[in-house]
Amino acid sequence: MAEPYLRMVGIQKSFPGVQALKGVDFEAFAGEALALIGANGAGKSTLMNVLGGVIQPDAGQILIAGQPVEIHDPLQAAAHGIAFVHQEMAILRTLTIAENLYITSFPTRNGLIDFEQANRLSSSVLARLGHDFPPETRMRDLSPGDQQIVEIARALLGEPRLIIFDEPTSSLTSREKARLFEVIRSLKKEGVTVIYITHLLDEVFGICERAVVLRNGETVGGGMLSQLTYAEIVRLMIGTADVSSYFRHRTAQIGDIILKVSGLNQKGVLSEISFELRKGEVLGLWGLMGSGRTELSRAIIGLDPIDSGSIEIRANGSLKPIQPRQAKKWIGMVTENRREEGLLLPKSVKTNISLANLPALISRVWPLVDNKKETQEARTYVDRLKIMISSLEQPVETLSGGNQQKVVVGRWLQRNPVIYIMDEPTRGLDVGAKAEIRTVILELADAGAAVILVSSDIDQIMSMSDRYLVMNRGRITQELPASASKDELIAAAAGGQ
Amino acid sequence: MNKTKREPFNLRNFVLSYGFQIVLALLFIFYAVSTENFLTPSNLINILHAAAPTMILASGLALVIMTGKLDISIGSIIFLTTAIGGTLMTRAGVSPWIAIPLMVMIGAVCGALNGFIVTVLRVNPFITTMGTMFILRGAALFVSEGLLVSIPDFMKKFGNAKVGPVFVDILIAFVFLALMHIFHTRTKFGRQVMAVGNGEEVATRLGVRTKRVVFTTFVLSGLFASLGGILSMSQLGGVSLHMGVGLEFTGIAVAVIGGISLFGGEGSYTGLALGALTLVIIENGLVHVGASPYIYPLVRGGIIFIAMYADSLKARVQARGRIETIEQAPAAAD
Repeated sequence: MAEPYLRMVGIQKSFPGVQALKGVDFEAFAGEALALIGANGAGKSTLMNVLGGVIQPDAGQILIAGQPVEIHDPLQAAAHGIAFVHQEMAILRTLTIAENLYITSFPTRNGLIDFEQANRLSSSVLARLGHDFPPETRMRDLSPGDQQIVEIARALLGEPRLIIFDEPTSSLTSREKARLFEVIRSLKKEGVTVIYITHLLDEVFGICERAVVLRNGETVGGGMLSQLTYAEIVRLMIGTADVSSYFRHRTAQIGDIILKVSGLNQKGVLSEISFELRKGEVLGLWGLMGSGRTELSRAIIGLDPIDSGSIEIRANGSLKPIQPRQAKKWIGMVTENRREEGLLLPKSVKTNISLANLPALISRVWPLVDNKKETQEARTYVDRLKIMISSLEQPVETLSGGNQQKVVVGRWLQRNPVIYIMDEPTRGLDVGAKAEIRTVILELADAGAAVILVSSDIDQIMSMSDRYLVMNRGRITQELPASASKDELIAAAAGGQ
Repeated sequence: MNKTKREPFNLRNFVLSYGFQIVLALLFIFYAVSTENFLTPSNLINILHAAAPTMILASGLALVIMTGKLDISIGSIIFLTTAIGGTLMTRAGVSPWIAIPLMVMIGAVCGALNGFIVTVLRVNPFITTMGTMFILRGAALFVSEGLLVSIPDFMKKFGNAKVGPVFVDILIAFVFLALMHIFHTRTKFGRQVMAVGNGEEVATRLGVRTKRVVFTTFVLSGLFASLGGILSMSQLGGVSLHMGVGLEFTGIAVAVIGGISLFGGEGSYTGLALGALTLVIIENGLVHVGASPYIYPLVRGGIIFIAMYADSLKARVQARGRIETIEQAPAAAD
């Protein structure tokens, strides 16, 4: 192959308490789509932020087309033909598409913005991405997928020679994904270098030719994807950890009925839901998006009102009906929206863990929180869940997604609920973090808790469940044993439509 | 695919978007039917006359609010600039051609002080302008020596001058608002104000020089406040010790009633004009139905509260709409 378009040599970067990049060498060629793969915290975003001028490296050199370049800020990166589509979208919700695209570079006529031209240019760049929404549409009226298209359109405005996509598909539907992949293919044809950061391996095989795997701030391998297997990449990503444990089945000790739901109805959403949950059991709630899985978990825990039906929970030895309002006393809920629903991001790990449990941490002498007790408790759960932190005072926002999710779990552990509802607990996490969360969930069940697991990731749900309830259009349509095959599950979820 | 769907008519959204216009129309009809003198040309012109200074003095503040910040010092800026202007013109005999530009400049400097504290010293805007609110009012009391400051006769005449049947300041206010509308919708700065209101961090990432934008909005807030103050002073015929008291809140109320969200990134100058008219019409109508003057503050407070509540309700409904679309988006994949 020819001389690489981009070379990064010996890139090093430290953050307080952690060396994120330990001298990474990295190359990308013109006209290729290169997958940059790694677990959360492996350093892939850091490496690309160096290239995008978002952060400055401690050491190392960047060469573009053989010439050494200095990149101190995103504008300089743009001047070198580098565009960055960030994972977190930069969206001006109340403004139009055209305004979002040209907010810093409006075409003007006689000192006023020439909206005619801006709209025309916007339409043409959107057309290049295969979209035709009117450029006067307000951003907030677009779906997240369409918003992302606008983000990509913005990256294309500067006619870049190299585009970095950071987890671009996290909010896209499969059709939008297909559209994005087409765009990437046409960019490649134009000789643009595409660097694709992801941990979704299926996508990698679909769109990229070559892969580079990072682990703990170092390049650990890679090569042409035609010569790599899924398992090999997973092994590279999570290192020495035993890959097979990810697929292991356990033998559960299932006990008495602990939760009994009968005839639950919520108009237009849930109808006639009845099931039982036993101690030590992991119950997989399986169904397609919109089948009512999330709605059911919200109803059980009392977040949404129910119209009829009863929920009974075993307390002091016998099943007793409870008011949905009280459900939180026994049920802990972990959702996919770690950031929005559970965590105070700028606050420390300690604060976040103890937050839900402050009354139990009050000093015996004063009616104030006992700092020593709080630290001890937090330390206990950090150790038990193997949360990777530099100190208890580390802000949660600096943790990887998997570790953030563990903090949420740790918070609930202290309350010691008898039932956990896990709604997509591993969404957005990488393979290694998924395996760890899985271990946590199975340990909870082994310790006697009952778990309702909601997931749209079939491998994930199959790797844990002792029993499945299949939902479709707000009803439970089928119950399947742990031995059910993937095909059976998929057929059951799709059935009756 | 992906054509933006025309939303079906939604009563809730309609009421939330046009609530105050609906209330305004109903009130207008109510007053017109139930009183004799409300719906007369001269009263309608009086309404516009009363609204004119407010429209101008709130138009800079509106920009600050659109960035998602707040300026509660404009009442004091008005007191200070009019006290200085009045003193210069009547006690020192300075020509109004010098005094008036000077007043406007002082207003801009006060705004720049606010902008500096907010953007460079990074003090919360509410606290910043609360501080300058006290300081500037104190300075104005010092200038006026605690006395009523009178203004030259021709300024008093200007305050109530008419072209045909219409007061001059009405024309000034509407020309001014039209210019502000163009400034807001058709200039890069106007659009970047809205960008900052969508989130400072996002705007910065997109390359907007956020601090410069915020600083400028504060300068304009002070500048336009002093302009509106000059009209107000001319109408009132002097500068009392209570000049500008509560005007900052009138300004905020007018903006919020007009649909300029306190959360930033939302609103227009037509809205601002309607907001100012709403407030004035309600109070004017109260006079005509013969309500006790003591209930005016009560009514005004009630309106402000309702407007704020509607604003936060609107923000919540829109946030919920967003969550719904997110949940629906992946569903389409299956």
